[in-house]
Amino acid sequence: MSGEVLSLLMFAVACGVLLFGFPVAFSLGGTGLAFALIGHSMGVFDMPLLGSLPSRYFGVMSNELYVAIPLFVFMGVMLERARIAEKLLLTMGLLFGKRRAGLGISVVIVGMLLAASTGIVGATVVTMGLLSLPAMQKAGYSPRLSTGVICASGTLGQIIPPSIVLVLLGDILQGAYAEAQRSLGNWAPEPVSVIDLFVGAFIPGMLLVGMYIGWVIIQSFIDPKSAPALVEDKRPEGLLGEVMRALVPPALLIVAVLGSILTGIATPTESAAFGSVGSMILAACYRRLDLAVLRHVMSQTVQISSMVFIILLGASIFSLVFRGLGGDHLVEELLHNMPGGLFGAMLVVMTLMFVMGFFLDFIEIVFVVVPIVGPILLKMDISPVWLGIMIAINLQTSFLTPPFGFALFYLRGVAPPSIKTWDIYRGIVPFVLIQVLALVLLAMFPELATWLPKVLLN
Amino acid sequence: MYFLARFVRLIDSLNDAIGRGVAWLTIPLVVITFLVATLRYGFSVGWVSMQESYLWLYGIIFMLGAGYTLLHGGHVRVDVFYRPASARYKAWVDLIGTVFLLLPVLVLVFIYSYPYVITSWKRLEGSQETGGLPGLFLFKSVILVFCVLMGLQGLSLAARSILVLTGHREFETNEEEHEGV
Amino acid sequence: FPKPAIAQNIREWRMVTTWPKNFPGLGTGANLLAEYINKASDGRMKVTVYGAGEIVPAFEAIDAVGNGTVEMGHGAPYYWKGKVAAAQYLAAMPFGLTAQEQNAWFQYGGGQEIADKIYAKLNCKFFPSGNTGTQMGGWFNKEMNTIDDFKGLKMRIPGLGGEVIQAAGGNVVNLPGGEIPPALQSGAIDATEWVGPYNDLAFGLYKSAKYYYYPGWHEPATTLENFINLSAWNDLPDDLKAIVEQANRATNQMVLSEFVARNNQALKTLQEKHNVDVRPFSDDILTNLGNLSGKVLRDLVASDPLSQEVFDSLVAFREQAASWAKYSELAFMQARTLPFKY
Ligand code: NA
Ligand code: NA
Repeated sequence: MSGEVLSLLMFAVACGVLLFGFPVAFSLGGTGLAFALIGHSMGVFDMPLLGSLPSRYFGVMSNELYVAIPLFVFMGVMLERARIAEKLLLTMGLLFGKRRAGLGISVVIVGMLLAASTGIVGATVVTMGLLSLPAMQKAGYSPRLSTGVICASGTLGQIIPPSIVLVLLGDILQGAYAEAQRSLGNWAPEPVSVIDLFVGAFIPGMLLVGMYIGWVIIQSFIDPKSAPALVEDKRPEGLLGEVMRALVPPALLIVAVLGSILTGIATPTESAAFGSVGSMILAACYRRLDLAVLRHVMSQTVQISSMVFIILLGASIFSLVFRGLGGDHLVEELLHNMPGGLFGAMLVVMTLMFVMGFFLDFIEIVFVVVPIVGPILLKMDISPVWLGIMIAINLQTSFLTPPFGFALFYLRGVAPPSIKTWDIYRGIVPFVLIQVLALVLLAMFPELATWLPKVLLN
Repeated sequence: MYFLARFVRLIDSLNDAIGRGVAWLTIPLVVITFLVATLRYGFSVGWVSMQESYLWLYGIIFMLGAGYTLLHGGHVRVDVFYRPASARYKAWVDLIGTVFLLLPVLVLVFIYSYPYVITSWKRLEGSQETGGLPGLFLFKSVILVFCVLMGLQGLSLAARSILVLTGHREFETNEEEHEGV
Repeated sequence: FPKPAIAQNIREWRMVTTWPKNFPGLGTGANLLAEYINKASDGRMKVTVYGAGEIVPAFEAIDAVGNGTVEMGHGAPYYWKGKVAAAQYLAAMPFGLTAQEQNAWFQYGGGQEIADKIYAKLNCKFFPSGNTGTQMGGWFNKEMNTIDDFKGLKMRIPGLGGEVIQAAGGNVVNLPGGEIPPALQSGAIDATEWVGPYNDLAFGLYKSAKYYYYPGWHEPATTLENFINLSAWNDLPDDLKAIVEQANRATNQMVLSEFVARNNQALKTLQEKHNVDVRPFSDDILTNLGNLSGKVLRDLVASDPLSQEVFDSLVAFREQAASWAKYSELAFMQARTLPFKY
């Protein structure tokens, strides 16, 4: 058996192992290790390659961008524990009147704002789960709709700038585009910068937000019990004061976090620190900051960050072994024999990335696939911005798809035991379909991604 | 069995204590990161060493907190079958998983990290950045400490599973207590 | 099947780089090196290139080679200053040597011997393997007229240049690549250096900064490197050793040529298409930065004998080279700018 076949077998075995229910990080890492040993005994895997593990771990430990994760978690748990988030969401829900789905819409909007403040899926899904799940449960939302909305809005962070996926993609696409242009004889091509991708992602991101909200409303009509109207216990004249008190301070906080990033005053990591400090100040203002709350927040920050990063470390072994067995050559071969024509080629690439998204971290996918397919696709006279956004939405979809989407793992990690994993799986299905629809629309109308950068940046 | 039970309690209290200690580091993480941005934007001052110090804190928090997280059931599982299953099923999964997945991974990481960390100590490696922190070798050593703490907690999980399988119901994982996060 | 490669005496090597794959000039240089080796060895060596992050993150490349995880790597020597301080002087020295002088120093000025000594500490064999040529001074959102303008200046500038800016009263900031443009745009930082027009254009920095200052006094010509695991190197037969050595010489030259050719095209694009305001640093600034550089470097190397050795050798070579340049390239280049018709 060749290493490449082994690398495919490894995927299949990982699926089985994961289902037993041992923690994801070690299921992935352990399966990877087992296949490394099998590969070694068959002479198709170089054990010394595993020597890169400490380097990879240290790379994660010293990655400035990832520091945003514990900081956003800190903010999220603090806002949740001090019951500020619940108040915010419920009051926002009230703003939509007695209408059904009001709270669901608020969650999407808060998710959108939060997504804008960080580019890291782990951070936003976890923060959204902490902020909104308790409130939605209390309001009587069905677990399916709640978890679906939360996962979907939580992964918006990949699309809505600033996004780490887009930053990395920008870096790689730049090289791929330059290579494609050079092969066409253009030696000083217009650069594709990260900013182009950020601007290009704006309309598709808003489109997704709109479709999520649309689905929440439709769902509330199909099954009113799943998204009930909030029970108003305040008289209408008291509502304004209530809204001001519950909504304005946290809204200011979110705007400050977001604003500091969008204006570039702070890096996403630093703005997460603004958010954390702000959440402590808010909690203190509402007189809810005491030692017990602080201890809880600190402890949860440790556990949730650890959960996210240890999964990363486990997935890192898995993807290293995949590469070591020649899985990347397999991908390369597959892609070099892509069916003719842009449509066929895009379909193959998108499907492949989608499947890889189940097991590999997006960093790996971006590093393995884009350098290979980028130049080939970009020679077909397509916009690199469009390609980048297609890839980003596709990966986002992959992270949402059961049973192995990373976003679902992260939400599982913060959801109470009363919510069944099946609820999460079934709740996400409509949102996965929405994602696919968005991809189709973007494929049919590339201007959705390319128009804004053209207008704004030139 | 008495020995196993004592072992479980010993390791659990060790990682619990470390986790609680590490949890306090989240406060300086928040404050220092906040100060770096504020000082730079508001007062045009800053030190690369200060930037690096929050990087260290972040790395220490999630690496040293990993055992504590396992103790509290915080490492996420695909639990469609696991969650509704019997205590015995769970114990078997945890026992076999620890022996064949968790421990081998940690042993492997330890074996490969040991020379990596030792090399760093021999060079008394410092930051590659201008004005960065010295003593990078200390930060790298966190990888080894992670392996030990996580490995011990894994052994505790395995011991706990054996106890459950031999009828010591008090060691069953209680969902209320260990709902994780 | 067991790897037949070893049986047939084919050396399958992996090369990790500190560059994103196919990154203009830098990543493509690594590709070129692999290509030369593969072709010239007639298939007896097969080097595969991995970009930053594919096997190890960029700044872990030297450890991965030193400990034998992979056989070779491509990067720039200043990345390893945390491990062996002396390495950074091999890359570039503020107000140091030009690319041609740098190469002359490596080949005839004792540079290669010192480099081998430094890289032995990293368990690697060193080859110069590319050069960016003279870089640009950087992108600024403030006018820089006198040395006092550096006081409180928030600049992203790594390495020895950063030490000098710090000594000039500047505030050196460390930012991940992707965050540089927005930080520059907002005023979170006032300035950044990057490489030269070729890479700076691709990075889109002209969208976020007002002035593009020259020259790159801090990186007059940055040497790129190929490092090879020492035992892997020692195991090579002499003919393959010669092939690797010559492949590096060719790459060294080709990368420099690429930068020279592309920089002048890109500068034209920046000036004519994007109306970039390109300005020289004043003599006041350059004189003061030069003085500061000498002081800062002397202080830095004093604490480390190996750094002192490489520094002394470079300074001695620089002195001779500068006086020859006065009569050769400098004189000619000035002559070429005289207003004659051609
Ligand atoms: Na985002
Ligand atoms: Na530079």
